[in-house]
Amino acid sequence: MLHPDVVADLLKKALKGGADFGEIYVERSKRRRMTVRFGRLDEAISGLDYGAGLRLFFGTEVVYAYTNQLTREGLQEALETLLRAKGALGQVDERGAGGLDFRKASPKGLHTPRVPYGEKDKRFRLERLLEAEAGARIAPEIQQVETSLQEWEQEVLIANTEGTWAEERRVRTRLLVLAVAQEGTEVQTGYAAPGKSVGLELFDLYPPQEVGAKAARQALTNLRAKPAPAGTMPVVVGNAFGGVIFHEALGHLLETTSVAKKASVLADRLGEVVASPVVTYVDDGTLPHAWGSTEVDDEGRPTERTVLIEKGVLKSYMVDRLGHLLTGYPLTGSGRRQDYTLAPTSRMRNTFIAPGDKEVEELIASVEFGLYAKDLGGGQVKPGSGEYNFAVQEGYIIRHGRLEEPVRGAMLVGKGPDTIKKVAAVAKDWENAPGMCGSLSGMVPVEVGQPHVLVSEIVVGGRA
Amino acid sequence: MTLEEAKRYLLRRAKELGLEAEVLFQEERELSLRARQGTLEEIKEARQGGIGLRVQVQRRLGYAYTEELSPEALEWALSEARDNALLAGKEGLIPPGQALGSHDLIGEGLSAPLEAKKQSALELERALWEDSRTRSVLMGGYMEKEVRLALASTLGTEGAFRTGLAGMGGSLVMADGPSLKQGWDFRLAKEFHALDPSRTALEIREKTARLLNAKPLPTGRYRAYLEPKAMAGLLLVLSRSLSAKSALEGKSRLLNRLGERIASEWVTLVDDPTLEKGLVSRPFDAEGTPARRTAVVEKGVFKTFLHNSETAKALGQENTGHAFRTYRGVMDVAPTNLYLEPVGNLRLEKGVRITEFMGLHAGANPVSLDFSLQALGLWVEEGEVRYAVENFAVAGNLLELLKAIEAVGDELDWEVMGSAFGSPMVAVAELSFAGA
Repeated sequence: MLHPDVVADLLKKALKGGADFGEIYVERSKRRRMTVRFGRLDEAISGLDYGAGLRLFFGTEVVYAYTNQLTREGLQEALETLLRAKGALGQVDERGAGGLDFRKASPKGLHTPRVPYGEKDKRFRLERLLEAEAGARIAPEIQQVETSLQEWEQEVLIANTEGTWAEERRVRTRLLVLAVAQEGTEVQTGYAAPGKSVGLELFDLYPPQEVGAKAARQALTNLRAKPAPAGTMPVVVGNAFGGVIFHEALGHLLETTSVAKKASVLADRLGEVVASPVVTYVDDGTLPHAWGSTEVDDEGRPTERTVLIEKGVLKSYMVDRLGHLLTGYPLTGSGRRQDYTLAPTSRMRNTFIAPGDKEVEELIASVEFGLYAKDLGGGQVKPGSGEYNFAVQEGYIIRHGRLEEPVRGAMLVGKGPDTIKKVAAVAKDWENAPGMCGSLSGMVPVEVGQPHVLVSEIVVGGRA
Repeated sequence: MTLEEAKRYLLRRAKELGLEAEVLFQEERELSLRARQGTLEEIKEARQGGIGLRVQVQRRLGYAYTEELSPEALEWALSEARDNALLAGKEGLIPPGQALGSHDLIGEGLSAPLEAKKQSALELERALWEDSRTRSVLMGGYMEKEVRLALASTLGTEGAFRTGLAGMGGSLVMADGPSLKQGWDFRLAKEFHALDPSRTALEIREKTARLLNAKPLPTGRYRAYLEPKAMAGLLLVLSRSLSAKSALEGKSRLLNRLGERIASEWVTLVDDPTLEKGLVSRPFDAEGTPARRTAVVEKGVFKTFLHNSETAKALGQENTGHAFRTYRGVMDVAPTNLYLEPVGNLRLEKGVRITEFMGLHAGANPVSLDFSLQALGLWVEEGEVRYAVENFAVAGNLLELLKAIEAVGDELDWEVMGSAFGSPMVAVAELSFAGA
């Protein structure tokens, strides 16, 4: 996307200005979204994001600029703005005098789409969306269905003063279905949204009709559901998107973004028992075609599989370059950002609890009275105190070891480090699901996941 | 190409291709200064711009945008927008336009020297440590954003405005014995000089420290006093249901309820893009409709949805001028400065004073308006705060909550989440709390 000489000149100029490290991240992304409502294409937008982010380190102080002017002059101007802001413009540091040779890493194509964008026209996509909508029309109570397709082709170039030169083309496709069920004045929703680092083969992996039906069944279940009970009780958390609980309550606490500042309750705890011994927690950026996978992170470093917690013992944090500088922990290829407008920070990729040895039925059978949180919505955490919350999107009461009536409006509330110690059993049925995770460096695609998990007690917010 | 040149290029090419077109372009400048441990750990200074295009082909609309301003990229955007329009299944028109003038809403508000801004970020971070209970400071910072937005169409729309915001805030962890609380806050203003780092730091410390040594709250139904920022979060959720676009998409429970009482008599909800010091004021909306004040709910009675030209036509109502669009998005409807009017009949008695809701995006359903939210708060008795309470969730339905509002305070406070949401403190007769 940029000529190596332009990049080398720019980075050498950063070193001359006294920076210890310089990095450029260039992005050209095509994003397309089509939305179907009422059996017809309601909205469609196509876009081209194009810009560069320039990051310099002076010790552990960071200066960052971004611009859409990707000419030699535009980039030089952005750099000069930064040096001026730092008070370093016009300095001449000898480190900028030598040459700069890049080690070009060629992508292996681990996540290359099988059916690329150009193979089908837009009408083909519209037809798949209409199938998803038809799939959701399973009952007269389904009043409204919204289906959309997101396609994203991101080309990145990351180069730095240490000679890194990494290029990658990242393709992601996601189908989203929202179903709204209504009876009288009661309105409830259901949701399904599979996404992968793939092209149009997504429709083969997740037939649109089934995705629509899944969303609709959830909306109907919620329509029948009674308000959730309130109080402290055992909770069986579902697999796949159920993993969002530990994404929030545990994963965020292991990012150096909060660990380096001692703003995580799990800082300085390597080697200690921080979780129940049945918990092994992994963040893997290499899973083929996973929604959160990339070959290199947004700092140009190959992604890897990082075991965070092994049988309850804390083994590693998720470490980006700044986190590494601040803590000395080895880099884990975890530097990520939403786009060129944000500096990278340590972020999760595909994070999940590894499978255990129990059957799902055993977990449920062991509960006298509790909640089965089959599917979850999003959530939030404060790493400094570990307090988290998230919404149960589909839930059922467990009574005498049996699944009984559906309940809605439940919210799980607690402190992550307590909850992870209360994991009593882990089933075998590991599955991941895609989501968008928001933090300091913006919204990034991640997978969350786990098998079914039994937590001995969680505060359930329902109606008292 | 500059954005101005790209705009002229697109309008000229659209005419050549026999299309009607509307372009919206946005140039942004951002400065952010983040201090930690007495130094500036991150300085960010950036510019960004892009052009959003909406075309009309045979009474159908399609969208595209680009940040790359080469002729190839502009031609790509035109052809994608045209393809998108040709597939559209719904009628839509670009409204006829008018000259809207050029407006400056920020003036010299942000024009202090960089050094003064750096000092205020450092000052705020330092002042966050002025309490022995401060365990760590995640950041103290200053940010400003300046935006120039212009709108033009082949149907005669032509206008521009410049606006901006300055903000200052921070985040810290405070501890008292084993009790830990993380707090943060952000103050926004139209002028750099309206911000006060030491006062903001003091407010953040006080707001966080008062939550320390919290006790569990027994499960039950209590009267709730919602602090302005907690109420502002609920207004954000409610605002989705006030959008006529949501209503037309079957995602609002307020459809067909105009003229009905949907809230208690103390509730008057207004959206006013013309507020002089409004944090999200603007002279016209994203399709060139001039701004004016709209009473959405008056003394509990639902008066109007927020509309753009398309939704107003579809529901046969008056356009309120709330078309919203960034260059990267499709035409939507959004509030500007949406606020609950102060009344001044609130007296603290007994109940839970809710200081903050967490996880709004997950715990509140903008369609059903059911919510179940983790909250932080203070137990109030005989009009006084007795102690902090934690580890509980509040559940209910927003429409029921609006009807249960018994009293509204007298002082507005604002929170910016895309739009600006303002509220005084609000007393709610009874809410359901799930705790210990």
